[in-house]
Amino acid sequence: MLHVQNRELVVPGQLLAEGGYVIRQGAFREGSRIYSSVVGLADLHGQEIRVIPLQGRYIPKRGDVVIGVVIDTHYSGWILDLNSPYVGNLFVSDLLRRKVDLMREDISKYLDVGDVLVAQVKDVDELMRVQLEAGEPGLGRVEGGKLVEISPAKIPRVIGRKGSMLNTLQSVSGCRLKVGQNGRVMIWGDDQRMVNAVVEALLMIEREAHTSGLTDRVRAMLEKLKSEGGE
Amino acid sequence: MEKPERLIVDGKRLDGRAPDELRPLRIKAGVLKRADGSAYVELGRNKILAAVYGPREMHPRHLQQPDTAVLRCRYNMAPFSVEERKRPGPDRRSVEISKVAREALEPVVFLELYPRAAIDVFIEVLQADAGTRTTGITAAAVALADAGIPMRDLVAAVAVGKVDGTIVLDLTSEEDQWGTTDMPVAIMPRKKLITLLQMDGHFTGEEFRQALSLAFKGCEQIYEAQKQALRERYSVKREEGE
Amino acid sequence: MMYEIVSTVKRDYIIDLARQGKRVDGRALDQYREISVEKNFVEPAQGSALVKLGNTQVLVGVKLERVEPFPDEPSSGVLIVNAELLPLASPTFEPGPPDENAIELARVVDRGIRESKAIDLEKLGIKPGEEVWAVFVDIHVLDHDGNLIDASALGAIAALWSMKPPDVEDWKLPEFPISKKPVAVTIAKINERLMVDPCLDEENVMEARVTITTTEDGSICAMQKGGVGCFTPEELEAAYELARAKAEELRKFIG
Repeated sequence: MLHVQNRELVVPGQLLAEGGYVIRQGAFREGSRIYSSVVGLADLHGQEIRVIPLQGRYIPKRGDVVIGVVIDTHYSGWILDLNSPYVGNLFVSDLLRRKVDLMREDISKYLDVGDVLVAQVKDVDELMRVQLEAGEPGLGRVEGGKLVEISPAKIPRVIGRKGSMLNTLQSVSGCRLKVGQNGRVMIWGDDQRMVNAVVEALLMIEREAHTSGLTDRVRAMLEKLKSEGGE
Repeated sequence: MEKPERLIVDGKRLDGRAPDELRPLRIKAGVLKRADGSAYVELGRNKILAAVYGPREMHPRHLQQPDTAVLRCRYNMAPFSVEERKRPGPDRRSVEISKVAREALEPVVFLELYPRAAIDVFIEVLQADAGTRTTGITAAAVALADAGIPMRDLVAAVAVGKVDGTIVLDLTSEEDQWGTTDMPVAIMPRKKLITLLQMDGHFTGEEFRQALSLAFKGCEQIYEAQKQALRERYSVKREEGE
Repeated sequence: MMYEIVSTVKRDYIIDLARQGKRVDGRALDQYREISVEKNFVEPAQGSALVKLGNTQVLVGVKLERVEPFPDEPSSGVLIVNAELLPLASPTFEPGPPDENAIELARVVDRGIRESKAIDLEKLGIKPGEEVWAVFVDIHVLDHDGNLIDASALGAIAALWSMKPPDVEDWKLPEFPISKKPVAVTIAKINERLMVDPCLDEENVMEARVTITTTEDGSICAMQKGGVGCFTPEELEAAYELARAKAEELRKFIG
């Protein structure tokens, strides 16, 4: 038996359902009762229940694409801030995909403190030690562009269903985006005005992530800014 | 102020409240930009801010726990929050309150989800009336939820006591000063479990039972206001000019 | 205090914008963020003000207390400014006694008030040699998104102008003896450009900053250069003109 409606805003401890439902996220079970553990939107699909959180820090998961900032270099690799309670570790071999003679080469020429990197989470162990890899195409050090941070909980909205929001953002603005699951977004564009418009759009998505019709509003906002022309 | 002859006249307290009535309560979630979660609570003349940071990396590292996050709590009073300027920095009272507040909040937080991390709760009293520790806990619970930290429930807290032989809810500073008994209580409303209990003064067994049940009644109202504040924070705010 | 993590990408972006005379939040170089000042925010203080400068929030409370005077000024009141960078205000602030940043903040605010002679401390004696009034200005930083100095200085002077005389026999004055409105304006230098009211992202990449506190007549009562970069004399002249013009705008919020 359900005690909430689909898309209802729920709070921690709120009774969601009783019975044999499957919990996917943001909820916990006590006996036959299922409660929300976070502030979020109830998402009910058949026998599956989850609460889509509206806040919260990024917790690394294997396979996630993240945007990290190098905070330290050691002899065989780097430590990256992931906008998370847990830092990421990247070995030089997981960046270059080849053997490196650490006795001869100074690896700081590949990546240095402050550099920004698109990486994939290769592994997370039970102590939440995070291994990254960045050798595949589309991963690696980034140059130029603008880095924006929003709440990681809102990233699924930035991407949208089957990438619909991200497509809208890129096609209307003419900018290129790279989205990290950890709340960081890189924006590249020749038109400074449209880069700023994308930032505005991202902040709008962050503010209104839990509302419907958002893609249309984002598109309208970007198109309006675009038609207002250059300075 | 001198001690009034009576603190309860014709069943009414000095501020006009009935014995089982809360002071005016206002809760707002998400009031700070930098913090991961925050809340501001006014109860009577109390003005209290709570901020949550985390889960975040635990420093110093030797305090990391391999299988769980560590909850830390700091209760602090602004120098101008009380009549006589309070010297900045922790004193014995604030250290004790920080400890019991942490223990009041910890049972609801799913700390085991975040090995090695820290969750920091800061309770800042900007203006103190009576009941700063309970109001601080009420604010901190909303701030934790606002930070998106998974919780079993919220925690609501209030003080009850005995004044002129009457059991009263949510003491004023006069009642705290001249009353017989002060008992701060925090509860997990859903499971009706008590997570903070302190008391000084005098109760008979029967008075204690009565006071505890009054505390539950007050916490129910506070709990509703907490949930309302969290819902308001995320209720649709579309700034559509057209 | 821990450090903010600033990526090269973010740094380069802000520096490049500065070259074009632009800012990360779209402001003009001489534009402050939105300002609000709410006076008498806390009752137990004789004066108080909650200042918001964009997302930066500072609460200042002023309390009067009886203290022993300093031996060299036995009949003069005492001004004490203290600042707390509360750990609730930023992930980089840690609990503990004031660090060098908190102390610098308090002292820059202190100098603006003291050197402008905004408060007539001479009038704050009670019993010469025995008792005088101490004016405690406590700066409580609640949310740190840059430019704490201007927010704190504005909060302090607004709080002092909102003072209610204490309700005690020893207090003989009709009102709190304050006569001037010193205003601090902080100017950051990024990529050869000067800009007022740096937000946190700008503070994290600025080469240097200078705070110039002026009074109503445009004269300077306090200055403080901070950061590892340098200013040319011409830049400082330009900074002074900016500071004087902006102080007039900010002064309206003191009331």
